[in-house]
Amino acid sequence: MTTGFGDVIHLESLTKFYGETRALHDIDLTVRVGEVFGYLGPNGAGKTTTIRTLFDFIRPTSGKATVLGLDSQADAREIRRRVDYLPGDIALYDRMTGRELLKFLANLRGGVDWNYVEQLAERFQSDLNPRIRTLSRGNKQKIGLIQAFMKRPELIIMDEPTAGLDPLMQQEFYALVEEVKAEGRTIFISSHIVPEVERICDRVGIIREGELATVEDVHVLKDRALHQLEFRFAQSVPPEVFANLPGVRDVVVEGTTLNGTVVGSPDAMVKAAANYEVVGLTSRETSLEDVFLAFYDGDSPNAA
Amino acid sequence: MLRNVFFKSLQEQQRSLFWWVIGLSALNIVTILFYPSFANRPELNEIFEDLGPLAEAFMGPIEDFTSPEGFIDSQLFSFMIPLLFVAFGIFSGSGSIAGEEERGTLDLLLSNPLHRRQVILEKFGANLIAMALLGVGTWIGLVAGAVMVSMDISWLRLAEATVSSALLGTSFGALAFALGSARGKRGTAAGVSAAIGVAAFLLNTLVPLVELLEPLTRISPFHYYNSAMPLFNGLDPLHAFALVATTAVLFIVALVTFERRDLGIG
Repeated sequence: MTTGFGDVIHLESLTKFYGETRALHDIDLTVRVGEVFGYLGPNGAGKTTTIRTLFDFIRPTSGKATVLGLDSQADAREIRRRVDYLPGDIALYDRMTGRELLKFLANLRGGVDWNYVEQLAERFQSDLNPRIRTLSRGNKQKIGLIQAFMKRPELIIMDEPTAGLDPLMQQEFYALVEEVKAEGRTIFISSHIVPEVERICDRVGIIREGELATVEDVHVLKDRALHQLEFRFAQSVPPEVFANLPGVRDVVVEGTTLNGTVVGSPDAMVKAAANYEVVGLTSRETSLEDVFLAFYDGDSPNAA
Repeated sequence: MLRNVFFKSLQEQQRSLFWWVIGLSALNIVTILFYPSFANRPELNEIFEDLGPLAEAFMGPIEDFTSPEGFIDSQLFSFMIPLLFVAFGIFSGSGSIAGEEERGTLDLLLSNPLHRRQVILEKFGANLIAMALLGVGTWIGLVAGAVMVSMDISWLRLAEATVSSALLGTSFGALAFALGSARGKRGTAAGVSAAIGVAAFLLNTLVPLVELLEPLTRISPFHYYNSAMPLFNGLDPLHAFALVATTAVLFIVALVTFERRDLGIG
């Protein structure tokens, strides 16, 4: 792989060991300019380790990371100048007020448009006057978000950005992400919350136990979404009618209840069911992680 | 005060520094207020004489405890002031990088356009200034006390002895700073530095009781702090340089170790 024009983040065989423990293994990843990239994986999968490598807080055991074409180690300061960061589980200077902290960070970054800061604070309903120590988890997170957005950097890297936010503020955050994207800027988000990634990301990389399992367009993964359908019929139905439909698997009939899993569109199964009298229907969409796992447990391991 | 890491680090210490200054200057004033009751009692010298070498170890090789210099040196500069300066140095040194790392704020700080070495430099600079301010406060306390009891003592010599204390405190502060920068653990940095401080103090005070081992004191920073008796003779340039050089070496250790390692997240 080579760094192409428009690659905002480029990881090449990135590997990190802590003693014997392997935190990252051979990660190859490219984030393109202008996209919202979701880095999805369970806690402890290596998301934070990857991100902290980009800012040179952690040195890779082997492999290489470039951000905006800059080497993560040699050009760390320049990367920090052009990229802003929301740390996961963010810790702020507790004795400062929100305003003092943002002023301090603005000074370190060579100044920001303070009107925009006030605007962000208003959108997040964030009171910048009290000492940070007295703020709730969610209100601290808002200050963290404001500092990540306030300089309008060309790339924002956020580690679990909606942690602790109430639903209303999550919506505000999603809206802000849309705006940043509309301006052609790039966002890299780590998350373990699938609906969030589905909602705001263009592409998603799934990481498990330090290995990048797949990178895919979100809509492609959604097409592979699994629906678990449960039909309750007026009378018992022949299972083979359903079992042979395209994309349908694990069909089980118990009495008048039929359970089945559909990969992709549930259309065929619903139409088949419509030939019988349906008295009840439940559908549960499974997560991208499940999609992905099913995808690999299945018969097309190279499809990604 | 929020212009850069240097001022921010200084501001973080402002409140504790204030109380250290109050404490140290009060200690000085109160101690010196007792001086008049010592001054006219030369027989006290004989009592101290009778206590033998152990007293000398802890109060300095002083002939005349009832002279202004003898009194201040034995009561303040032999034990309390250097001890407190070393404690302050360790307190602020271990809090710098390791404190920031343990609180988890180091990631946020370093996500700004800063080199790691720049953070080291500014934080260390802030500690030096904090120590200097503590020195000024201590000296003011000494002078104030001296004025109150009309003590005949050189303000310059008081300043020189205080500078020597500050250099001693700074060298232990640099030790704690370097340990904290190398490992990121505040408690370890403070604890190890304090243990080395106590060992160095005991080495300097107790070892001379055995004449043969006397040269060993040369490895203790406390030797360079007070053996030339700056309150009587002024600051010894070589001794002062030894303390400054120790600090400089430890500063470089901090720079190099912090530059190379992975940073923690609290």
